[in-house]
Amino acid sequence: MGKLDLLSGNKAVAYGAKLSRVQVISAYPITPQTPIVEYLAEFIANGELDAEYIYPEGEHSAIAAALAATIGGARGFTATCAQGLGYAFEVVAQAPAYRAPLVMGVANRTLGWYWSVASDYSDSMPTRDLGWIQFYAESCQEALDGVIQMYRITEDERVLLPGMVCLDGFHLSHSSEPVDIPDQDEVDEYLPPRKIYKHTTDPTESESYVYPSLPVSLHTTYRKIFENAMQRTKDVIREVTKEFSERFERDTHGLVEEYHTDGAELLLITMGSMSTAAKRAVDRLRDRGVKVGLIRMRFFRPFPSEEILRIVEKNGVKAIGVVNRAISHGTSMDPLGAEVAATLYELKNRPNIINFIAGMGGGDVSIRDFESMVNKLTNTLNKENVRETMYVEHPIKIETPSVKFSDAAYCPGSQLCAGCGATLAMRHILKILGKNSVLVFPPNCVSASLAMHFPSSWMGVPYVLANYAAAAAYARGLQRAYKYRGKKVYVTVIAGDGCTADIGLQSLSSAAESNEPIIWINYDNEAYMNTGIQRSGTTPLNAWTTTTPAGVKWHGKKEEPKDMISIMIAHRIPYIATASPSFLRDFESKIKKAMKVVEKAEGLAYIHIQSPCPTGWRFPESKTVEIGRLATLTGVWPLLEVDHGTFKLNLKPRKLKPVAEYIKLQGRFRHLNDEDIAMIQKFINKRWEKLLELDGKIMW
Amino acid sequence: MRISGLRCWKMGNREEYPEIITISTKEIGSEPVAHWRVVKPVIKYETCIKCWVCVQYCPEGVIKESEKGPIIDYRFCKGCAICANECPVNAIKMVREV
Repeated sequence: MGKLDLLSGNKAVAYGAKLSRVQVISAYPITPQTPIVEYLAEFIANGELDAEYIYPEGEHSAIAAALAATIGGARGFTATCAQGLGYAFEVVAQAPAYRAPLVMGVANRTLGWYWSVASDYSDSMPTRDLGWIQFYAESCQEALDGVIQMYRITEDERVLLPGMVCLDGFHLSHSSEPVDIPDQDEVDEYLPPRKIYKHTTDPTESESYVYPSLPVSLHTTYRKIFENAMQRTKDVIREVTKEFSERFERDTHGLVEEYHTDGAELLLITMGSMSTAAKRAVDRLRDRGVKVGLIRMRFFRPFPSEEILRIVEKNGVKAIGVVNRAISHGTSMDPLGAEVAATLYELKNRPNIINFIAGMGGGDVSIRDFESMVNKLTNTLNKENVRETMYVEHPIKIETPSVKFSDAAYCPGSQLCAGCGATLAMRHILKILGKNSVLVFPPNCVSASLAMHFPSSWMGVPYVLANYAAAAAYARGLQRAYKYRGKKVYVTVIAGDGCTADIGLQSLSSAAESNEPIIWINYDNEAYMNTGIQRSGTTPLNAWTTTTPAGVKWHGKKEEPKDMISIMIAHRIPYIATASPSFLRDFESKIKKAMKVVEKAEGLAYIHIQSPCPTGWRFPESKTVEIGRLATLTGVWPLLEVDHGTFKLNLKPRKLKPVAEYIKLQGRFRHLNDEDIAMIQKFINKRWEKLLELDGKIMW
Repeated sequence: MRISGLRCWKMGNREEYPEIITISTKEIGSEPVAHWRVVKPVIKYETCIKCWVCVQYCPEGVIKESEKGPIIDYRFCKGCAICANECPVNAIKMVREV
């Protein structure tokens, strides 16, 4: 028997992966998926799970690495959602061709449209036609069970297709429920070790591998063969989920779940967590004598048309309400509604159908909403051939903020943490840049805080929310538009360290190489703080983050931070500098120099700001400025600039303070012993000597 | 095919929404954040030397210069205490509010 614990959906997925004994994990932080990979990192750090852990620079690579691990014979796992899934779309499309049993957790979240971090299926729905199996969980328990079931399904030799385990972002991913965690022995009995197939890419064990491209004349044929495998998967799903249910004594099987479908005249078809509210509505209506039932789609791919037809025919269903958190623009239906309608085509007496578009962007769909939906269905009973779409709306009044500021570049009241270094930096940046500027924001703490007072902002200059990996490209496009139209506007990117050093680096590199006159400000808080303190390319050596925890096996981040200044020096751009909000005169003069450089259209100006983060670095918020100052005075954060090739150390203390003074103030270094600190001191001393040598030198 | 709306009773108003929502750059605004605070900075004007370090380092920019010394806009002070920590003459005291 398993153990009962209170788990969030994300933790349940992490447990599912752990119990499935995943061997290679590769993922990139994105809300609301992040906790899945944080928990997995913790399992490895504590010695509870033996697996490789890859930290790629973005989702495109994250899913590629997990896929490749699966191609190479390991049990691979990855997780993402929304923009991440969109960014990785190309890899997602490629994956099924390898016939590699990769499992991906998807904590569903709105893709693109109007930017919400909460749940709808606009991220996983566009991937529905690519050849992945798609499972949608209703509860945290099902999220855990779903992962284990999915490995069993995908690794079955009749299947060998990648699979997604989808759970509603926040509604499930961040809500805790009692979950029965099965024993490892039980799971081991159900899920045998990963097999090496004939087509697994392993020169030591397998003599063949997957042919990567096909002659045109075979494409249609292979699509047919692939589709047959997809259709065949339905039987495998029915069989192995049934076995799961019997073994673990839980009723969680099949492609769909039926709820009070017996004698149902009216039928709701739902997916995911909203089904629970729908079931309660069915209970209430059944009590009142309304003959209503529910089908919950456990699997959306392969599509359970047989089950739907059987239930509709058997009960003589007269009207169906398909409710979904999705819409297929241009059709006025959602993909589920469209497919249910297509499925019903086979019937002679087709029931009426209303497609309810509900809960987009994570909006709540309540029991009363479902009751009123059923009411609408009842109203169609005296009509024939009804096919309608209805939007379940909960409109709010658009109100203006209570305190207003006129003609300001900045106003207080942002939702950034108390004592945030980036708030201090942003205030001074905006003061210098003035109103004639456009800011480009990839996702980061500051950009997330900008839109929290709908429909206002605490920033008095326009900004463009850029896609993470393309921040520099957005800036290039804007800059060229103003250039072409003969305008002088400062285009400035405010990026975090994750965008600069990881996911956005190639876009930045290309803009730098092309001498685009834009200002790039990297406010470096040394981790992915917006998603909740995950390791980035600039996280310092040994620092604790949620994806580099300190435990039995791990000791914080194992690698040294990426040297962004050297990377920018290699691009020979006209202005490169580091700055600190603790040294404001230096800070402001550097922004002014960057503005001069872009004014003269000399090229890209790069300013790397250290932005102490009380939340992520674990220090009292009153010490932000003090820590920034100590970083510079200990040599951890040297203030330097490379002005048209000439290297200059802006602040040269006669003697550096011991690095321990800086480190001991921060909880993220709490696990370090004197030896570790001595090692860091050695690294700092060596780098400082090198910087002194470079001072005054011409770099290119 | 017919398309219609199903507005939930009571909850909504029936105002028309603009097709494209825009933000004003002329007039910006926000909501007070005073309720975030646990401790509140109080300035001892007799000690203050008007060096304006607090004005510079307040992340929110809610401390303004005045003849008698710095003035804090408490509506927007989050109580981070950077001002008190940076003050060279300890003229800012953090007082517990909650």
